[in-house]
Amino acid sequence: MSSLPELQKLIHEKYGIDPATLDANESMREKGLDSLALVEFLFTVEDHFKIDMSDAEPGTDTLAGLAAIVDRMLAEKAPA
Amino acid sequence: MKTVVITGLGLMTPHGEVPDLVFAALMRGESAVRRVFPELPKPVAAATVAFDEARWFTKLQLAGVDRVSQLAVAAAGNAMHDAAVGNDLDRDRLGVYVGCGMGGANALDTAYRGAIGASGSASAVSTGLAGSFATARVPPLTIPAFMPNAPAAHVAMRHQAHGPVLTYSVACAASAVAIAEAGKAVANGEVDLAIAGGAEAIIVPGVMLAWQAMHTLATFNANDADGAAKAVRPFAADRSGFALGEGAAFLILESEERARNRGARIYATLKGWGYGSDATHLTKPDVAGQSRALRNALNRAGARPADVGYCNAHGTATRIGDIVESDALALVWGDDLDALRVSSTKALHGHMLGGAGALEAAITVLALHHRQLPPNAHCSEIDPACRLVLVPPDGMTAPDLQMAISNSFAFGGTNAVLVFARA
Repeated sequence: MSSLPELQKLIHEKYGIDPATLDANESMREKGLDSLALVEFLFTVEDHFKIDMSDAEPGTDTLAGLAAIVDRMLAEKAPA
Repeated sequence: MKTVVITGLGLMTPHGEVPDLVFAALMRGESAVRRVFPELPKPVAAATVAFDEARWFTKLQLAGVDRVSQLAVAAAGNAMHDAAVGNDLDRDRLGVYVGCGMGGANALDTAYRGAIGASGSASAVSTGLAGSFATARVPPLTIPAFMPNAPAAHVAMRHQAHGPVLTYSVACAASAVAIAEAGKAVANGEVDLAIAGGAEAIIVPGVMLAWQAMHTLATFNANDADGAAKAVRPFAADRSGFALGEGAAFLILESEERARNRGARIYATLKGWGYGSDATHLTKPDVAGQSRALRNALNRAGARPADVGYCNAHGTATRIGDIVESDALALVWGDDLDALRVSSTKALHGHMLGGAGALEAAITVLALHHRQLPPNAHCSEIDPACRLVLVPPDGMTAPDLQMAISNSFAFGGTNAVLVFARA
Protein backbone atom coordinates (compact mmCIF):
# COMPACT_ATOMS: atom_id res chain seq x y z
CA MET A 1 0.00 0.00 0.00
CA SER A 2 1.35 3.41 -0.88
CA SER A 3 2.43 5.69 1.93
CA LEU A 4 1.18 8.71 -0.02
CA PRO A 5 -2.05 9.26 1.93
CA GLU A 6 -0.09 9.11 5.21
CA LEU A 7 2.41 11.66 3.88
CA GLN A 8 -0.41 13.96 2.81
CA LYS A 9 -1.89 13.70 6.28
CA LEU A 10 1.51 14.42 7.86
CA ILE A 11 2.19 17.53 5.80
CA HIS A 12 -1.29 18.78 6.55
CA GLU A 13 -0.81 18.32 10.29
CA LYS A 14 2.68 19.79 10.32
CA TYR A 15 2.43 22.69 7.90
CA GLY A 16 -1.29 23.11 7.36
CA ILE A 17 -1.03 22.25 3.66
CA ASP A 18 -4.30 20.76 2.46
CA PRO A 19 -3.81 17.67 0.23
CA ALA A 20 -6.36 19.15 -2.15
CA THR A 21 -4.05 22.10 -2.82
CA LEU A 22 -0.84 20.10 -3.23
CA ASP A 23 -0.60 17.78 -6.23
CA ALA A 24 1.46 14.71 -5.31
CA ASN A 25 3.69 15.36 -8.32
CA GLU A 26 4.10 19.07 -7.62
CA SER A 27 7.32 20.49 -6.21
CA MET A 28 6.97 21.15 -2.50
CA ARG A 29 9.56 23.92 -2.81
CA GLU A 30 7.34 25.73 -5.23
CA LYS A 31 4.55 25.32 -2.70
CA GLY A 32 6.50 27.42 -0.23
CA LEU A 33 8.55 24.82 1.64
CA ASP A 34 12.11 26.11 1.81
CA SER A 35 15.11 23.86 2.45
CA LEU A 36 14.68 24.22 6.24
CA ALA A 37 11.01 23.26 6.18
CA LEU A 38 11.77 20.30 3.88
CA VAL A 39 14.53 18.91 6.08
CA GLU A 40 12.29 19.18 9.12
CA PHE A 41 9.49 17.43 7.25
CA LEU A 42 11.83 14.54 6.38
CA PHE A 43 12.65 14.23 10.09
CA THR A 44 8.95 13.99 10.86
CA VAL A 45 8.51 11.36 8.14
CA GLU A 46 11.36 9.30 9.61
CA ASP A 47 9.78 9.52 13.05
CA HIS A 48 6.39 8.54 11.76
CA PHE A 49 7.47 5.50 9.75
CA LYS A 50 10.40 4.55 12.05
CA ILE A 51 12.81 4.61 9.13
CA ASP A 52 16.21 6.18 8.54
CA MET A 53 16.44 8.17 5.34
CA SER A 54 19.83 9.69 6.14
CA ASP A 55 21.58 7.41 3.62
CA ALA A 56 18.90 7.74 1.02
CA GLU A 57 19.29 10.47 -1.57
CA PRO A 58 15.77 11.81 -1.73
CA GLY A 59 16.59 13.90 -4.83
CA THR A 60 12.93 14.63 -5.00
CA ASP A 61 10.76 17.30 -3.54
CA THR A 62 7.40 15.87 -4.53
CA LEU A 63 5.17 13.87 -2.21
CA ALA A 64 4.87 11.10 -4.79
CA GLY A 65 8.66 10.83 -5.02
CA LEU A 66 8.95 10.76 -1.25
CA ALA A 67 6.22 8.11 -1.03
CA ALA A 68 8.18 5.87 -3.42
CA ILE A 69 11.26 6.07 -1.18
CA VAL A 70 9.25 5.44 1.98
CA ASP A 71 7.47 2.47 0.36
CA ARG A 72 10.79 0.94 -0.68
CA MET A 73 12.26 1.35 2.81
CA LEU A 74 9.19 -0.11 4.47
CA ALA A 75 9.35 -3.08 2.10
CA GLU A 76 13.07 -3.61 2.94
CA LYS A 77 12.27 -3.39 6.64
CA ALA A 78 9.40 -5.89 6.48
CA PRO A 79 10.29 -9.48 7.39
CA ALA A 80 10.80 -11.56 4.28
CA MET B 1 23.16 64.75 18.28
CA LYS B 2 19.42 64.25 17.85
CA THR B 3 16.97 63.92 20.73
CA VAL B 4 15.70 60.31 20.92
CA VAL B 5 12.06 59.60 21.75
CA ILE B 6 9.96 56.49 22.34
CA THR B 7 6.98 56.31 19.98
CA GLY B 8 5.93 52.69 20.35
CA LEU B 9 5.76 49.96 22.97
CA GLY B 10 5.25 46.29 22.22
CA LEU B 11 4.94 43.58 24.83
CA MET B 12 4.42 39.84 25.11
CA THR B 13 4.66 39.24 28.84
CA PRO B 14 3.27 37.13 31.69
CA HIS B 15 0.86 40.02 32.36
CA GLY B 16 -0.33 40.18 28.76
CA GLU B 17 0.51 42.25 25.73
CA VAL B 18 -1.44 45.52 26.04
CA PRO B 19 0.97 48.02 27.66
CA ASP B 20 -1.66 49.91 29.66
CA LEU B 21 -3.23 46.67 30.92
CA VAL B 22 0.16 45.23 31.86
CA PHE B 23 0.97 48.45 33.70
CA ALA B 24 -2.41 48.43 35.47
CA ALA B 25 -1.84 44.83 36.62
CA LEU B 26 1.53 45.81 38.04
CA MET B 27 -0.03 48.83 39.80
CA ARG B 28 -2.50 46.40 41.43
CA GLY B 29 0.42 44.26 42.57
CA GLU B 30 -0.74 41.18 40.66
CA SER B 31 1.92 38.51 40.58
CA ALA B 32 2.27 36.37 37.47
CA VAL B 33 4.70 34.00 39.17
CA ARG B 34 3.39 30.44 39.50
CA ARG B 35 4.77 27.05 40.36
CA VAL B 36 6.04 25.23 37.24
CA PHE B 37 7.22 21.68 36.52
CA PRO B 38 5.83 20.05 39.68
CA GLU B 39 7.69 16.88 38.63
CA LEU B 40 11.04 18.46 39.52
CA PRO B 41 12.45 17.40 42.89
CA LYS B 42 12.43 20.87 44.45
CA PRO B 43 9.56 23.37 44.00
CA VAL B 44 10.36 25.96 41.35
CA ALA B 45 8.40 29.04 40.25
CA ALA B 46 8.36 31.10 37.06
CA ALA B 47 6.22 33.59 35.15
CA THR B 48 5.14 32.32 31.74
CA VAL B 49 3.32 33.85 28.78
CA ALA B 50 -0.06 32.62 27.53
CA PHE B 51 0.90 32.80 23.87
CA ASP B 52 -1.00 31.75 20.76
CA GLU B 53 1.66 31.49 18.07
CA ALA B 54 -1.00 30.90 15.41
CA ARG B 55 -1.83 34.61 15.59
CA TRP B 56 1.64 35.44 14.34
CA PHE B 57 2.80 32.46 12.27
CA THR B 58 1.44 29.92 9.85
CA LYS B 59 2.45 26.34 10.63
CA LEU B 60 4.89 26.50 7.72
CA GLN B 61 6.48 29.70 9.06
CA LEU B 62 7.09 28.01 12.41
CA ALA B 63 9.65 25.53 11.03
CA GLY B 64 12.80 26.08 13.06
CA VAL B 65 11.48 29.09 14.98
CA ASP B 66 12.02 28.72 18.72
CA ARG B 67 9.60 30.18 21.24
CA VAL B 68 12.04 32.98 22.04
CA SER B 69 11.90 34.16 18.42
CA GLN B 70 8.13 33.76 18.32
CA LEU B 71 7.74 35.99 21.37
CA ALA B 72 10.19 38.52 19.88
CA VAL B 73 8.33 38.70 16.56
CA ALA B 74 5.01 39.17 18.36
CA ALA B 75 6.25 41.90 20.72
CA ALA B 76 8.17 43.75 18.00
CA GLY B 77 5.09 43.58 15.77
CA ASN B 78 3.02 45.06 18.57
CA ALA B 79 5.58 47.85 18.98
CA MET B 80 5.58 48.72 15.26
CA HIS B 81 1.80 48.70 15.25
CA ASP B 82 1.68 50.89 18.37
CA ALA B 83 4.06 53.40 16.77
CA ALA B 84 1.86 53.51 13.65
CA VAL B 85 4.95 53.53 11.46
CA GLY B 86 3.94 54.35 7.90
CA ASN B 87 5.03 52.76 4.66
CA ASP B 88 7.30 55.70 3.82
CA LEU B 89 9.95 54.25 6.11
CA ASP B 90 13.36 53.81 4.42
CA ARG B 91 14.05 50.15 5.24
CA ASP B 92 17.79 50.63 4.70
CA ARG B 93 17.67 53.00 7.66
CA LEU B 94 15.62 50.71 9.92
CA GLY B 95 17.65 48.95 12.61
CA VAL B 96 16.86 46.06 14.95
CA TYR B 97 18.64 45.88 18.31
CA VAL B 98 17.85 42.84 20.41
CA GLY B 99 19.03 41.62 23.77
CA CYS B 100 18.92 37.87 24.38
CA GLY B 101 20.68 35.96 27.11
CA MET B 102 20.45 32.35 26.04
CA GLY B 103 18.68 31.96 22.71
CA GLY B 104 16.38 29.09 21.90
CA ALA B 105 16.36 27.13 25.15
CA ASN B 106 13.37 25.05 24.07
CA ALA B 107 15.24 23.85 20.98
CA LEU B 108 18.32 23.04 23.04
CA ASP B 109 16.31 21.20 25.69
CA THR B 110 14.65 19.09 22.98
CA ALA B 111 18.02 18.43 21.34
CA TYR B 112 19.62 17.27 24.58
CA ARG B 113 16.71 14.96 25.30
CA GLY B 114 17.01 13.57 21.76
CA ALA B 115 20.77 13.22 22.06
CA ILE B 116 20.54 11.33 25.33
CA GLY B 117 18.06 9.06 23.65
CA ALA B 118 15.37 6.80 24.97
CA SER B 119 17.34 6.20 28.17
CA GLY B 120 17.33 9.96 28.54
CA SER B 121 17.11 11.37 31.97
CA ALA B 122 18.99 14.00 33.85
CA SER B 123 21.03 11.22 35.43
CA ALA B 124 22.41 10.22 32.02
CA VAL B 125 24.21 13.56 31.97
CA SER B 126 25.82 13.14 35.35
CA THR B 127 26.83 9.54 34.70
CA GLY B 128 28.44 10.36 31.38
CA LEU B 129 27.06 10.05 27.91
CA ALA B 130 29.33 7.34 26.57
CA GLY B 131 27.33 4.85 24.57
CA SER B 132 24.07 6.65 25.04
CA PHE B 133 24.35 8.50 21.71
CA ALA B 134 23.45 5.27 19.89
CA THR B 135 19.85 6.38 19.76
CA ALA B 136 20.64 10.08 19.29
CA ARG B 137 17.96 11.81 17.31
CA VAL B 138 18.18 15.59 17.15
CA PRO B 139 15.79 17.77 15.14
CA PRO B 140 17.59 19.12 12.06
CA LEU B 141 16.64 22.75 12.71
CA THR B 142 18.09 22.87 16.22
CA ILE B 143 20.94 25.19 15.20
CA PRO B 144 18.90 27.92 13.48
CA ALA B 145 16.33 27.61 16.27
CA PHE B 146 18.66 28.11 19.21
CA MET B 147 21.20 30.61 17.91
CA PRO B 148 20.88 33.72 20.08
CA ASN B 149 20.65 36.10 17.11
CA ALA B 150 17.65 34.27 15.64
CA PRO B 151 15.10 36.54 17.38
CA ALA B 152 16.67 39.65 15.81
CA ALA B 153 16.80 37.97 12.40
CA HIS B 154 13.14 36.97 12.54
CA VAL B 155 12.12 40.49 13.58
CA ALA B 156 14.19 41.90 10.70
CA MET B 157 12.56 39.56 8.18
CA ARG B 158 9.09 40.44 9.44
CA HIS B 159 9.68 44.19 9.01
CA GLN B 160 12.18 44.16 6.14
CA ALA B 161 14.81 45.88 8.27
CA HIS B 162 17.82 46.26 5.99
CA GLY B 163 19.99 48.37 8.30
CA PRO B 164 21.93 47.15 11.34
CA VAL B 165 20.36 44.01 12.81
CA LEU B 166 22.27 43.30 15.98
CA THR B 167 22.10 41.03 19.01
CA TYR B 168 23.56 41.80 22.41
CA SER B 169 24.12 38.84 24.70
CA VAL B 170 24.91 40.54 27.99
CA ALA B 171 22.95 38.35 30.41
CA CYS B 172 20.57 40.37 32.59
CA ALA B 173 21.59 43.68 30.99
CA ALA B 174 21.24 42.49 27.37
CA SER B 175 18.17 44.41 26.33
CA ALA B 176 19.07 47.56 28.29
CA VAL B 177 22.29 47.52 26.27
CA ALA B 178 20.30 46.95 23.07
CA ILE B 179 18.15 50.01 23.82
CA ALA B 180 21.20 52.13 24.66
CA GLU B 181 22.95 51.13 21.43
CA ALA B 182 19.79 51.79 19.43
CA GLY B 183 19.55 55.17 21.15
CA LYS B 184 23.08 56.00 20.05
CA ALA B 185 22.35 54.99 16.46
CA VAL B 186 19.24 57.19 16.35
CA ALA B 187 21.00 60.07 18.10
CA ASN B 188 23.89 60.13 15.63
CA GLY B 189 21.68 59.66 12.60
CA GLU B 190 22.86 56.18 11.65
CA VAL B 191 19.27 54.93 11.51
CA ASP B 192 15.92 56.68 11.18
CA LEU B 193 14.03 54.21 13.30
CA ALA B 194 15.07 51.45 15.68
CA ILE B 195 13.16 48.44 16.94
CA ALA B 196 14.94 47.88 20.24
CA GLY B 197 14.26 45.42 23.02
CA GLY B 198 14.78 41.87 24.04
CA ALA B 199 13.36 38.40 24.45
CA GLU B 200 13.94 35.34 26.57
CA ALA B 201 12.15 31.99 26.80
CA ILE B 202 14.05 29.64 29.09
CA ILE B 203 11.27 28.08 31.14
CA VAL B 204 12.33 24.50 30.41
CA PRO B 205 13.28 21.90 33.03
CA GLY B 206 17.01 21.75 32.28
CA VAL B 207 17.47 25.51 32.57
CA MET B 208 15.35 25.70 35.71
CA LEU B 209 17.48 23.00 37.34
CA ALA B 210 20.66 24.88 36.41
CA TRP B 211 19.44 28.12 37.99
CA GLN B 212 18.23 26.24 41.03
CA ALA B 213 21.63 24.60 41.38
CA MET B 214 23.15 28.09 41.53
CA HIS B 215 21.01 28.91 44.58
CA THR B 216 19.71 32.14 43.08
CA LEU B 217 16.04 31.19 42.73
CA ALA B 218 13.45 32.08 45.36
CA THR B 219 12.37 29.26 47.64
CA PHE B 220 8.75 28.91 48.71
CA ASN B 221 6.33 26.61 50.47
CA ALA B 222 4.63 24.58 47.73
CA ASN B 223 1.71 23.80 50.07
CA ASP B 224 0.92 27.51 50.43
CA ALA B 225 -1.50 28.52 47.66
CA ASP B 226 0.16 31.94 47.47
CA GLY B 227 3.67 30.64 48.05
CA ALA B 228 4.93 30.89 44.49
CA ALA B 229 3.13 34.16 43.66
CA LYS B 230 4.77 35.91 46.61
CA ALA B 231 8.10 34.09 46.45
CA VAL B 232 10.03 37.07 45.06
CA ARG B 233 10.44 39.81 47.68
CA PRO B 234 12.94 42.45 46.51
CA PHE B 235 14.70 44.43 49.25
CA ALA B 236 12.72 42.57 51.93
CA ALA B 237 14.40 41.24 55.05
CA ASP B 238 13.07 37.76 54.21
CA ARG B 239 13.98 37.70 50.49
CA SER B 240 15.39 34.50 49.00
CA GLY B 241 16.07 35.19 45.32
CA PHE B 242 14.19 35.60 42.05
CA ALA B 243 11.89 33.63 39.79
CA LEU B 244 12.60 33.39 36.09
CA GLY B 245 10.18 34.95 33.64
CA GLU B 246 9.72 34.61 29.91
CA GLY B 247 8.58 37.13 27.36
CA ALA B 248 9.62 39.92 25.07
CA ALA B 249 9.43 43.70 25.05
CA PHE B 250 10.30 46.21 22.34
CA LEU B 251 10.48 50.00 22.10
CA ILE B 252 10.36 52.03 18.91
CA LEU B 253 13.02 54.74 18.95
CA GLU B 254 13.29 57.65 16.54
CA SER B 255 14.40 61.25 16.58
CA GLU B 256 12.06 63.77 18.16
CA GLU B 257 12.13 65.74 14.92
CA ARG B 258 11.01 62.76 12.86
CA ALA B 259 8.33 61.84 15.40
CA ARG B 260 6.91 65.36 15.48
CA ASN B 261 6.96 65.66 11.68
CA ARG B 262 4.88 62.52 11.30
CA GLY B 263 2.59 63.42 14.21
CA ALA B 264 3.52 60.37 16.24
CA ARG B 265 2.50 59.92 19.87
CA ILE B 266 5.56 60.36 22.07
CA TYR B 267 5.64 58.33 25.28
CA ALA B 268 8.90 59.70 26.64
CA THR B 269 12.40 60.83 25.77
CA LEU B 270 15.40 58.53 26.09
CA LYS B 271 17.61 61.09 27.81
CA GLY B 272 20.66 59.05 28.56
CA TRP B 273 22.38 55.73 29.03
CA GLY B 274 25.41 54.64 30.92
CA TYR B 275 27.62 51.59 31.25
CA GLY B 276 30.06 50.59 33.92
CA SER B 277 31.88 47.32 34.30
CA ASP B 278 32.66 45.63 37.60
CA ALA B 279 35.73 43.83 36.25
CA THR B 280 35.96 42.07 39.60
CA HIS B 281 33.97 38.83 39.59
CA LEU B 282 31.80 36.92 37.14
CA THR B 283 28.64 36.84 39.25
CA LYS B 284 29.23 38.90 42.40
CA PRO B 285 27.82 42.42 41.96
CA ASP B 286 29.98 45.42 42.74
CA VAL B 287 29.08 48.86 44.13
CA ALA B 288 31.83 50.63 42.20
CA GLY B 289 30.81 49.14 38.84
CA GLN B 290 27.12 49.89 39.33
CA SER B 291 27.78 53.44 40.52
CA ARG B 292 29.94 54.05 37.45
CA ALA B 293 27.00 53.09 35.23
CA LEU B 294 24.63 55.30 37.25
CA ARG B 295 26.97 58.33 37.04
CA ASN B 296 27.65 57.84 33.34
CA ALA B 297 23.92 57.68 32.63
CA LEU B 298 23.19 60.85 34.59
CA ASN B 299 26.06 62.64 32.85
CA ARG B 300 24.84 61.60 29.41
CA ALA B 301 21.35 62.80 30.36
CA GLY B 302 22.71 66.07 31.73
CA ALA B 303 20.82 65.31 34.93
CA ARG B 304 21.49 65.58 38.63
CA PRO B 305 20.33 62.84 41.04
CA ALA B 306 17.65 65.18 42.40
CA ASP B 307 16.07 65.36 38.93
CA VAL B 308 15.23 61.64 38.99
CA GLY B 309 12.03 60.76 40.84
CA TYR B 310 11.80 57.01 40.20
CA CYS B 311 14.15 54.08 39.82
CA ASN B 312 12.96 50.76 38.43
CA ALA B 313 15.60 48.74 40.21
CA HIS B 314 17.42 45.67 38.99
CA GLY B 315 16.25 44.24 42.36
CA THR B 316 16.65 40.50 41.87
CA ALA B 317 15.90 39.84 45.55
CA THR B 318 19.13 37.95 46.09
CA ARG B 319 20.76 38.41 49.50
CA ILE B 320 23.77 40.29 48.18
CA GLY B 321 22.41 41.86 45.00
CA ASP B 322 19.81 44.10 46.61
CA ILE B 323 22.27 45.47 49.17
CA VAL B 324 24.88 46.25 46.52
CA GLU B 325 22.32 48.05 44.35
CA SER B 326 21.09 50.00 47.37
CA ASP B 327 24.68 50.98 48.23
CA ALA B 328 25.40 52.06 44.65
CA LEU B 329 22.28 54.26 44.55
CA ALA B 330 23.19 55.71 47.97
CA LEU B 331 26.72 56.46 46.80
CA VAL B 332 25.57 58.38 43.71
CA TRP B 333 22.40 59.96 45.12
CA GLY B 334 23.87 60.98 48.47
CA ASP B 335 21.50 63.25 50.38
CA ASP B 336 19.01 63.08 47.50
CA LEU B 337 18.35 59.36 48.04
CA ASP B 338 15.30 60.05 50.25
CA ALA B 339 13.55 61.75 47.34
CA LEU B 340 14.08 58.80 45.00
CA ARG B 341 11.25 56.24 44.90
CA VAL B 342 12.44 52.72 44.11
CA SER B 343 10.68 49.51 43.11
CA SER B 344 11.66 46.22 41.58
CA THR B 345 8.80 44.94 39.45
CA LYS B 346 10.57 41.57 39.17
CA ALA B 347 8.49 40.57 42.21
CA LEU B 348 5.52 40.42 39.83
CA HIS B 349 6.82 39.52 36.33
CA GLY B 350 9.88 37.52 37.26
CA HIS B 351 13.39 37.96 35.94
CA MET B 352 13.24 37.93 32.16
CA LEU B 353 17.06 37.94 31.84
CA GLY B 354 17.79 39.03 28.27
CA GLY B 355 14.34 40.57 28.06
CA ALA B 356 14.37 42.13 31.53
CA GLY B 357 15.98 45.44 30.62
CA ALA B 358 13.47 46.04 27.82
CA LEU B 359 10.37 45.11 29.83
CA GLU B 360 11.53 47.25 32.74
CA ALA B 361 12.38 50.11 30.38
CA ALA B 362 8.84 49.88 29.00
CA ILE B 363 7.43 49.91 32.55
CA THR B 364 9.59 52.94 33.40
CA VAL B 365 8.34 54.72 30.26
CA LEU B 366 4.74 53.93 31.25
CA ALA B 367 5.40 55.19 34.79
CA LEU B 368 6.49 58.53 33.31
CA HIS B 369 3.63 58.53 30.82
CA HIS B 370 0.97 57.89 33.49
CA ARG B 371 2.85 59.57 36.36
CA GLN B 372 2.25 56.49 38.47
CA LEU B 373 4.83 54.31 40.19
CA PRO B 374 4.37 50.53 40.32
CA PRO B 375 4.82 48.99 43.77
CA ASN B 376 7.75 47.14 45.24
CA ALA B 377 5.57 44.15 46.03
CA HIS B 378 5.83 41.51 48.76
CA CYS B 379 8.08 43.56 51.00
CA SER B 380 6.42 43.68 54.41
CA GLU B 381 9.68 44.56 56.15
CA ILE B 382 12.57 46.19 54.34
CA ASP B 383 16.06 44.86 54.97
CA PRO B 384 17.66 47.53 57.18
CA ALA B 385 20.80 47.12 55.08
CA CYS B 386 18.87 48.49 52.07
CA ARG B 387 18.68 52.24 52.58
CA LEU B 388 15.96 52.91 50.03
CA VAL B 389 12.54 54.53 49.99
CA LEU B 390 10.46 51.84 48.31
CA VAL B 391 7.21 52.43 46.44
CA PRO B 392 4.50 51.12 48.82
CA PRO B 393 2.47 47.95 48.06
CA ASP B 394 -0.42 49.90 46.52
CA GLY B 395 1.84 51.86 44.19
CA MET B 396 1.59 55.62 44.13
CA THR B 397 0.87 58.60 41.93
CA ALA B 398 3.77 60.89 41.12
CA PRO B 399 2.31 64.13 39.72
CA ASP B 400 5.69 65.87 39.63
CA LEU B 401 7.64 63.01 38.07
CA GLN B 402 9.89 64.29 35.28
CA MET B 403 12.65 61.73 35.00
CA ALA B 404 13.11 58.04 35.79
CA ILE B 405 15.82 55.42 35.46
CA SER B 406 15.89 51.69 34.83
CA ASN B 407 18.79 49.63 36.19
CA SER B 408 20.06 46.40 34.63
CA PHE B 409 23.10 44.74 36.16
CA ALA B 410 24.42 41.59 34.52
CA PHE B 411 26.32 38.48 35.42
CA GLY B 412 29.65 39.18 33.80
CA GLY B 413 29.81 42.57 35.49
CA THR B 414 28.29 44.72 32.75
CA ASN B 415 26.00 47.33 34.29
CA ALA B 416 23.61 49.40 32.18
CA VAL B 417 21.36 52.27 33.23
CA LEU B 418 18.76 53.99 31.04
CA VAL B 419 17.40 57.48 31.78
CA PHE B 420 13.95 58.46 30.51
CA ALA B 421 12.19 61.83 30.78
CA ARG B 422 8.71 63.10 30.09
CA ALA B 423 8.52 64.35 26.54
